[in-house]
This record gives sequence, C-alpha cells and structure tokens, in this order.
Amino acid sequence: MPKELDPSTNEKNFILESLYAGERLDGRELDAFRPLELEFGEEYGLADVRLGKTRVIARVSAQVVQPFSDRPFDGIFTITTELGPMASPGFEVGRQTEAEVLLARLIEKSIRRSTALDTESLCIVAGQKCWQVRADVHFLNHDGNMVDAACIAVVAALQHFRRPDVSIEGETVTVHSMTERVPVPLSILHVPICEGDGGDEANVVTLIDATLQEEQLRDGDMTVTMNKHGEVCQISKAGGVPLDPIAMHRDMNLAFVKVKEITAFIAKRLKEDEEKRVKRDNLLESKAENER
Amino acid sequence: MPREELLSPEGLRLDGRRWNNLRTLKLSLRTHPTSSGSALLTSGHTSILCLIHGPSEPSLRSKQQHDRCTITVDLTYAPFSGTDRKRRNRTDKRISELRSVIQRTFSRAVMTHLHPRSEITITLLVLSQDGGVLAGCINAATLALIDAGVPMWGYVAAVTVGWVPGQGGEGEEEGTPVLDVNNAEEGELGVLTLATMGDKGRVILGMLESRVRLEAVEGLMAVAVDSAGKVKDMMDEEVRRHGEAIARAAGVGS
Repeated sequence: MPKELDPSTNEKNFILESLYAGERLDGRELDAFRPLELEFGEEYGLADVRLGKTRVIARVSAQVVQPFSDRPFDGIFTITTELGPMASPGFEVGRQTEAEVLLARLIEKSIRRSTALDTESLCIVAGQKCWQVRADVHFLNHDGNMVDAACIAVVAALQHFRRPDVSIEGETVTVHSMTERVPVPLSILHVPICEGDGGDEANVVTLIDATLQEEQLRDGDMTVTMNKHGEVCQISKAGGVPLDPIAMHRDMNLAFVKVKEITAFIAKRLKEDEEKRVKRDNLLESKAENER
Repeated sequence: MPREELLSPEGLRLDGRRWNNLRTLKLSLRTHPTSSGSALLTSGHTSILCLIHGPSEPSLRSKQQHDRCTITVDLTYAPFSGTDRKRRNRTDKRISELRSVIQRTFSRAVMTHLHPRSEITITLLVLSQDGGVLAGCINAATLALIDAGVPMWGYVAAVTVGWVPGQGGEGEEEGTPVLDVNNAEEGELGVLTLATMGDKGRVILGMLESRVRLEAVEGLMAVAVDSAGKVKDMMDEEVRRHGEAIARAAGVGS
C-alpha cells in the first residue's frame, strides 16, 4: 500500500520548534482558520469548499424510494464519503483504512445522528414512499482538516438543495419537475459545524485547522461539532495526548466562536447565491412557501 | 420513554439509583490463565471479558514498527449480549469505530517504546450489554494489561455520564447529570464517555454522541473526571488485592 510520506526529521524539528515559539509555517495564528471559500454549482445542492489547499465537493441528490419497514414515517438520509487517490496518494480505492472509517463516522455522527435534517419531512406516503436524500462527499485534495471541510460542504449543500415538489391525489403521487413547480428546500433543524483541534507533544500547543504536515506531527486531536445555538452535537477525542479538562472546555468555547463565524459565512454565501439565481432565472418572489 | 420518567421527582432513577451512584462494579483479574493477562469486569448488567496476548511477534509483517509495539484490538459482541439475540458483523461500522478508539487510547497509554517490533493484542468480548460498553471495555483492558505486566503510563479509567435536561420551568435547574448510565438511559440521553489517564485527571478519551448544551458539557466533564478518579481507586484496590493474593500463594510478602 502506498503510504503517505512522513515529514523528515528536519521538517519535524522546524515545525515543532516554531510551534512552541507560537508560530505556524503558513503565518497563521494558532487559533485561526485558513481562508475558507465556498462556491455553489449551477444546479441545486452542489457545494465546493476550499480550506487552504484542502478541497471538498459535496453533492446532494434525492430520489423517491420505499422507507425502511421499521421507520415508515421517516425518509432516508445517507452520507457517503470516499477517499480516493485523487485526494492524496496515501488513499487507495476500495480499501478503507482505519482513519477513513473514523472520518466517515465522524461526519455521519456530526450531521446525521444529530438530526440536522428532519427526516420526517421527507415522508410522502407513510410506509410506501419517501424521499431518500443522499449526500456524496468527494475529497479532491487533502491538506489536513478534512472533517471540517467535509462538514461545511455537506451542511452548505443541504441548505442549498431544493427537492422537486410532490402532490398527492388519492393513491397517485405526482413528482413535479423543477420548471413546473418551485422546488422545496429541505427542512434543516440546525447547522452543525465541526472544529478540528490538534494538540502537539509534551507541553501542549493547541492548533485549530491543522494542515497535513501539522496533522502528521500532532500527538492527538479533538473534534467538536456544535451548532450556532450553542449545542454540542458531538465530541470526539480518541487517545492522543491527555488533556486537562479545563483546557478542553476552553477549546470548546473557542470552537463555539468559530462555529458562529462559519455559520454566518455559509448563510452569507447562500444569500448571495440566491440573489444571483433570482436575477438569472427571473424567479422573483417565487418561493415554495408562497401560496399557490 | 418520557424524560421525566428517567429521573423521578424524588431524584431516583429507573433502577433506584441516585444521580451520582455507580452500579456495583465487580472486577477480577487473571480469570483466564492461558492468556498473558485477563480481566472480567461486571458493572450492573454490563459484563466484559478482556484477554491480552503478547507482547509477541506481530501476526503480520506489516504490523511491525521499528520503534514501538503495535496495539491490536479485537472487539466482539456476543450474539446473546443484548435483549434480542443478534449476530453482529465484525465489519459493523460502530464496532470498528469503537475498536479504533480503544486502539488509539491504549497506543498512548502503554509504554510502547519498550517493546519495539512486537504486537500486543487486546481481545474484548462483550458478554452482556446494559449501557457503558465503551467505558467497560477501557476499564477491563486496563486491568488485563496490568495483569499481563505491560508497562503503562498510568491507569486508564473510564465512566459514562448522561445529561437529563430540566423541564425548563422558571428558576429551575437546567438539568442533572446522571452517572454510569444503563441501556434505557443511554438510548434517551446525551451521554459522554470519558477516560482519564493517571492521577491528575487528564482526559485521554472523550466521546459525546448526541446533542447537549455547551454549558451542560462543563458539568458533565466535571462529574466524569471526578468519578473516573474513583473508578481508578477501585481498580487500584483490586490490583493490589490480587497482587497480595499471588504473593501470599508464593509464600512471600505479609
């Protein structure tokens, strides 16, 4: 299996020593994110997130399926993540390493298990028809902190997505095409955003948004997912350098500040995109919530 | 189940405990003398068996690391461990996540540099599950590693704490933490599993999987760190008792 190259001893010493002196290689503050960029595609539900050199695309799609027999009133929401050699030569197709399992679980827990998407609203006919919403996450470039990038991409894509409207008359279900009726946005209950922290060796230095090199050298990591209401959706710290609980709590408060910033950023970009769309397609005042 | 039933107005939980009661924790070491180390942990109705093999030559060449030993974790849920008889696949995502969490924790807690080019296998078998499986696995593995004589930086002690939100009335408390949750509570509440290493209460593992308010997390962590210290003392007591018994059998010591 091709393995990611570890940083050389010189690089390692250089990076660690500058970290102890409070400097990062790219000149960022210890608690600063890399420049975050978010773009939406032509279609609904495509989000392209860039966090420094890390790049992730999330695509949300929906189809009508039969609900699970044990949950007849719920729609289905799945997130698929696949790490391929495109992101980094260290990833192989079709063979999940442990790191990949953890990454996929983390994203799933952050968004799906915290019920960010109201699956009950995806039900069409109880026990027979429901929407299956599927978020495909493609990792295009890996330069550290994939969890954050993926989480931002999925959440932004979910908010951007519109599903076709459905009407029911007796037994027949009609799915209206996008041009026939204004598509419906998904009901998002809250917006979880992940924060990755990396701790570094003996006298702990805490970093936010570690790059790949910093990730390779770190001695432990903690990911906290929160929403802007101040609810913690998920904490995950598995092994790594033992942290003081007070320091952990301080990190969480710091994460909350960042979460509010990122949520505001996504909302701003969504609004800009909406305005662009209205201008382009002449959609003025037509919203799914309007009375017909 | 409505939340108010999880904690009665008198402050009693479903099984009659108060919020800060641990379930009866039974620990025994060297239950399986054929392995390098073993421990059986029973906490209420949760019971977990842990066997250690090694340090030995790695089963696969690729597991060999030139400067440290590799920790391999094998976690199995017995088909009869839950309320329904169910065979869980080894490739189950949840199990493989737990496995890698345990593996990462002990890779840090064990002095891996003392056994280069070797492998230590931690085999965990969940015999019966009633909440707090991850915490039980961590505690059982710590004891079994001690029994195997594997050098560690300190005791790794884990507990679970759930958060029962308040009813939101005026002047009412925001909620109550409940220590050492059982299955019914685990399904309903936001539960934090936390493990500390050593005497200073430093956190080596923290897992929270459902939504909890940020202010509540502070309280949860305080309770968890405090109780993990108590669990550590209980484990230490058992280890010393076990050690003395061995010494007595060998005719040394008091």
